[in-house]
Amino acid sequence: MAEEKYPINIWINEERYAKLQKAGLAELPEEMLAGLKVLRVYANDAQKDKILKTFPTAKFDSATTKSIELLPKDVKDKIFDKIVEKQSVDIMADFLKAY
Amino acid sequence: MAEIGHGGKAIVERIMEPKEAAEKIKGLTQIPIRSQIANEVIGLTYGYFTPIEGFMNRADVDSVCKNMRLSNGVVWSIPLLFDVSDEEISKYNLKVGNSVVLTYGGNPMAILEIEEIFDYDKKAMCQAVFGTDEAKHPGCARVYECKDKFIGGKVTLVQRPKINAPYDPYFIPPLEMRKRFKEKGWARIVAHQTRNVPHTGHEWLMKGAWLQAYAELPIEKPLVGVLVNAIIGEKRKGDYIDEAIILTHDELRKAGYFGDHNHLTSLTFWDMRYAGPKEAIFHAALRTNLGLTHHMYGRDHAGVGTYYGAYDAHHLLATVQDELNITPVYSMNWLYCPHCGEITSEGICDHKKEWQKFSGTVMRSIVLDGVKPPRLIYRPEVFDVMIESGEKYGFGSPFVTDNYLEKRIPVFEIPPLK
Repeated sequence: MAEEKYPINIWINEERYAKLQKAGLAELPEEMLAGLKVLRVYANDAQKDKILKTFPTAKFDSATTKSIELLPKDVKDKIFDKIVEKQSVDIMADFLKAY
Repeated sequence: MAEIGHGGKAIVERIMEPKEAAEKIKGLTQIPIRSQIANEVIGLTYGYFTPIEGFMNRADVDSVCKNMRLSNGVVWSIPLLFDVSDEEISKYNLKVGNSVVLTYGGNPMAILEIEEIFDYDKKAMCQAVFGTDEAKHPGCARVYECKDKFIGGKVTLVQRPKINAPYDPYFIPPLEMRKRFKEKGWARIVAHQTRNVPHTGHEWLMKGAWLQAYAELPIEKPLVGVLVNAIIGEKRKGDYIDEAIILTHDELRKAGYFGDHNHLTSLTFWDMRYAGPKEAIFHAALRTNLGLTHHMYGRDHAGVGTYYGAYDAHHLLATVQDELNITPVYSMNWLYCPHCGEITSEGICDHKKEWQKFSGTVMRSIVLDGVKPPRLIYRPEVFDVMIESGEKYGFGSPFVTDNYLEKRIPVFEIPPLK
């Protein structure tokens, strides 16, 4: 059975979009919810548990979206910067090394 | 003519006239109360909790825990407790047969007639009400935080609370609420329970429930309304601030997504117990007293974590439906379907693989990321009022912060008794 994966949604505001354009990654975000741009970074079970423990404000939306929400903006900025640096959304293991 | 509330009992406000109050409190011991108890004093004295007239005695607590009924047989699901410590009993010389003045913010709020002082096994109470005795369940935590003795007895307000702006127009107690419904000519009114700023999923929950409640009624004139009843109580960091919740819901009416003919926003003071199915029963009684005929219940109503099944509340309601004077309206989730290009119900749309579900939590994440969602997901007027509320009342944030908890405008105050 495939391992469960849980997204962290990095919603793209103007500032983030400008950085993506500068890095040649303007096409990387998906479109969701009637026009919002989002980068979806996936965590496995162990990573999800570590994120929820490390960042107490974070919440796993178990009822509706099965996504990890309410991470502080500065943490999401760091995840975003890592995506730009690695030019990929497959960065969760790398990101969590710092914690 | 009497207004009849839950349990078939007339709704009566237990509020003294100022002259009588000044006389009655003379010489009585004064006991300060915390905000949860003050909220419940308002609920008890304005008739929100009809047929209950005061904090519960042992027989009622025991019957509520064991049978989900008051000792007189009326369906009731959550104990209403006035807790005191042995030290306080001794310090204030609390005795059965005496009356005391409950003070809030240093001023007299109500008289409590001490009918009984008792203890109760908190663990057993939690297991009975919440289906768990785990301290991490927020309802259990609230019970465990109680002091070890309980006082049962009737309460009477010695003066009306002063509801502060911007909440004042939204405090509409049961008797006044029923008058408003009559003025509006509504034959059916469906309750929307909320602690959220509304996204379009919530808006469509209300619209769907309105349509369900309308059913066979004639359509020549408006006969059905939605009552948004926001629960105002203890806040946690990261929640939407109360001002944003109330004002954005009313903005749905002001901006024309609803209108005066079918929408009204109000509040009830209550500290959520997150009791899931039991809280659903409590909501049925509360909204019956407010004069509602229908009540929306979605998935995992008033639940928390994974303690309750998605439809446990519906199943429990069905067991006592014949004894409730309010009809449940069960709501499926609303979501965004990019194929349809609209908000739709999971019970209608069959583009399952394309569905994009969203929740209040996801909306909070989007806002925290500094993004304004599109109007199909979040109405621009609602978004603007949320941001304005944060600037005006939330010290720059529409979400609860330490600063807000410390310095927020109190929802109500008790003035000095003249």
